[in-house]
Amino acid sequence: MSPATLSLAPVEQEVTSTDEVVAPDVPWVTIVWNDPVNLMTYVTWVFETYFGYARPKAEKLMMDVHVKGRAVVSNGPRESMERDAEALQGYGLWATFEKDS
Amino acid sequence: MARAFLREKDHYVALLESTERTVLLGLMQQTRLLLSPEIEPTGDAFDDLVASMGLSLSAADQQTDSASLEDRDPALDRLLPTAHRGDHEIAAEFRRLTEEGLRQRKSGNLDVALACVDEAVGNRVVLDESQAPAFLMALTDVRLLLGERMGMRTEEDAEALHAAMDDIEDDDPLGYAMAWYDFLTWLQETLTHALMGTDLRDVVAAYDDDLDDDLDDDLDDDEGRRPDNTV
Repeated sequence: MSPATLSLAPVEQEVTSTDEVVAPDVPWVTIVWNDPVNLMTYVTWVFETYFGYARPKAEKLMMDVHVKGRAVVSNGPRESMERDAEALQGYGLWATFEKDS
Repeated sequence: MARAFLREKDHYVALLESTERTVLLGLMQQTRLLLSPEIEPTGDAFDDLVASMGLSLSAADQQTDSASLEDRDPALDRLLPTAHRGDHEIAAEFRRLTEEGLRQRKSGNLDVALACVDEAVGNRVVLDESQAPAFLMALTDVRLLLGERMGMRTEEDAEALHAAMDDIEDDDPLGYAMAWYDFLTWLQETLTHALMGTDLRDVVAAYDDDLDDDLDDDLDDDEGRRPDNTV
């Protein structure tokens, strides 16, 4: 808006609805869990294909899932983690999302 | 005797005999049936998009309490697992928003795979670059369903099932199911290798070299170093 115009916008609008601002600095994570069916090569391929991770990173994450039982495969805002979890479930991986602790 | 998926120029080709194709089609059809979305893909991009947003109005989908999930086929909990462990409300909301879309995509993958097997010329099952990923994902869902039906929910279950095969009677259906499960595993493994060009043994060896000392202790026994092929 031009500075010469008298603003009629109520001052209250400056105060955004605070209940929607839930700790924006707390990132969420997407986790892939170990399971007895999914193949090691396939899981690596999924991490490469969906995330675009380079082969070494994809293989490291896959081995973390295999050896440690789970791995954090991405982090960020909740909406992004929900999208990642949904996509990975589409690939048949056991993916969940949660607030990082 | 089947031949694994191999890359032939810009296609991936496996040789599967008639019996193998028939069983594969049957298993894919069963998986497709279980996963069938409420709204089948229409061919209309806009309708499918709206449907994929999870705007289901059926009564069953309006229930978000866990009771409505209790009479679900347990295999569905593996194919469409809970996405939040610990908060049932978040999990239910996620399921309400995503399940229909996931069912549509998984069904779509199975439709592509079914067509590829059905259209085999001679014994040749031929996949192009876009069909190969769909085929991989379809095989995953078929194996998840078959694994669930055989009670394969943990690594221990899988080992016990494989160990039980040594003494199983020839006419036991479990042995039959396990043989086809292993066949599908082999088929999926070869297609993944064809897509990636990897050697799994190198991956395991490289990871072992990087592990901390305490993990090395665990892996140095015979069991740990055996490169089984599931995560």
